Amino acid sequence: MIGNLQALVQRELWEHRSIFVTPVAIAVVLSLLTVLALVSAAAFGSHVDLAVLTASNIGELEKRAALMGFLSMPTMVFAIGAWILIVFYSLDTLYAERKNKSILFWRSLPLTETETVLSKLITALFVIPVVSLVIAAITHIVLLILASFWIMSVGADAGHLIWSSVPLFDVWLGTFIVAIAMVLWLSPFVGWFLFVSAFARRSPFLIATMGIILLPIVEKIVLPTSFFGAAIWERTFRPPLADLDFVKFLDDDVYFEMTPDLVSIVSAIDIQGFVTSPSLWAGMVVCGLFTTAAIYVRRYRDDS
Amino acid sequence: MTSLVSARNVSKSFGAVHAVDNISFEIEKGRIMGLIGPNGAGKTTLLKALLGLTDCDGELSVLGLDPFKQRKELMQNICFIADVAVLPRWIRVDQLLNFVAATHPNFSRERAEKLLSQTKVMKKSKIRELSKGMVTQLHLAIIMAVDAKFLVLDEPTLGLDILFRKEFYSNLLSDYFDEDRTILITTHQVEEVENLLTDVMFINDGKILLDSSMEAVADIFVQLETSGESAAKARGLAPISESELFGKSVMLFEGVSREHLAGLGELSTPSVADLFVAKVREARS
Repeated sequence: MIGNLQALVQRELWEHRSIFVTPVAIAVVLSLLTVLALVSAAAFGSHVDLAVLTASNIGELEKRAALMGFLSMPTMVFAIGAWILIVFYSLDTLYAERKNKSILFWRSLPLTETETVLSKLITALFVIPVVSLVIAAITHIVLLILASFWIMSVGADAGHLIWSSVPLFDVWLGTFIVAIAMVLWLSPFVGWFLFVSAFARRSPFLIATMGIILLPIVEKIVLPTSFFGAAIWERTFRPPLADLDFVKFLDDDVYFEMTPDLVSIVSAIDIQGFVTSPSLWAGMVVCGLFTTAAIYVRRYRDDS
Repeated sequence: MTSLVSARNVSKSFGAVHAVDNISFEIEKGRIMGLIGPNGAGKTTLLKALLGLTDCDGELSVLGLDPFKQRKELMQNICFIADVAVLPRWIRVDQLLNFVAATHPNFSRERAEKLLSQTKVMKKSKIRELSKGMVTQLHLAIIMAVDAKFLVLDEPTLGLDILFRKEFYSNLLSDYFDEDRTILITTHQVEEVENLLTDVMFINDGKILLDSSMEAVADIFVQLETSGESAAKARGLAPISESELFGKSVMLFEGVSREHLAGLGELSTPSVADLFVAKVREARS
């Protein structure tokens, strides 16, 4: 089964080149925008006096916090891009092969529907975020190199200002944990999208969206309760790891109590709280139920 | 002989429509069976049941396995071409070969590449860049590189020109078929496969009209071309069909010996197409 899953995930990467193309496009745009910003800053003479900053022995804490912010902004763009990819991939993946009838070829091979649907779930929940993260990490390096050139061009010490302090591995590890946590948190939506992709005869995006919008409205009218409305709202807008408080790194009250190693995404993440959150596991159960339903529909409903 | 496929009272309904209606048949190892039927006769539903793509009522066994419940095991020893257009258009030829090699334990990549080297299919081409004939050649190369016991072909040459169709069946016979393998073909172009078949099965409205070896067909059915008084005498022997051709009556008899008909006109073995038309008309009348 593992060998088949590997081959099936590889097939998803061949088919959905947007999994690579989208983050690469984001990387190129961000790099170009950074170059543009640095050139503009130099052209308008509005750059801060980095030589003074270097000379003034800016604190390690501020440098780490500033660099973390510098890297976090592009990371957010990659995260949004990855989520958009996950949504459209999940909605398209089972629907497209029914629509173009290639499902008949795939089903002529000794593969189970469970293996096929699981490979698509793995691609949505892990492969897309990891590919985006790797390209984001490479982009971080590129952006830091670009910033280093600029710093050197104004006569400051990039090694001191950037490379001696940048918490790259903390940012990468922290981002990885947050990314995986977020997709697990949002996995009920991914399961729902796969299910819609498995049964929709047309317009899976519309059906999936209408389902999410109409369920709370119907519940309110018919029951009238707001369980689903609240669950969808909380799931969408209150992820458990979102209270990563970057501001506290710069808060005067706590600033003097902190050491540079505490300016860290990893240490700010409450993994234990997240893993023991009943909401996380409830969401994953819902994802499992939708995925099972997608397997069942693919297996038993014959519209090939 | 050993039964490769065994069907006992197999049915499949869609609401009130009986797509396959309580049919029973066997397919022996080493045979080439032609499954012939008009549109909507239940051919595709029956094939899907044999391939485990849909469930059905009754007892159905393929290679000793329940096709629906044991589809993964079954697919290791079955190949099927549902239609030439089903290869995914976005994939490259080499990626497709890699994928099948990784997922099919009985696939020989070496053999597939050898077969493809005799065609114009390039390994770096995407399927959408290939002509329909080349897609068929690729599909056939993949199928023939699988060491399968049972090959199911559902309208495999649909949309191909006659050169490709001839080549397709020629390759199938010369490079693939042997006494250990069994082939089931459905097609509307009956004339082109007639000479390949060892057995034929007619299906109409979900029921089997005829299930026979080609040798038995030649024994059971006789076509008589006659006219005038002889034609009147022949009608007395209850032909299952009669048509006019160039001023002569062409009658088809079932179970009437050639001795009885000798002297009434020119005798021949009917073509599968003529026989099929006669049996379907007989069933509908």
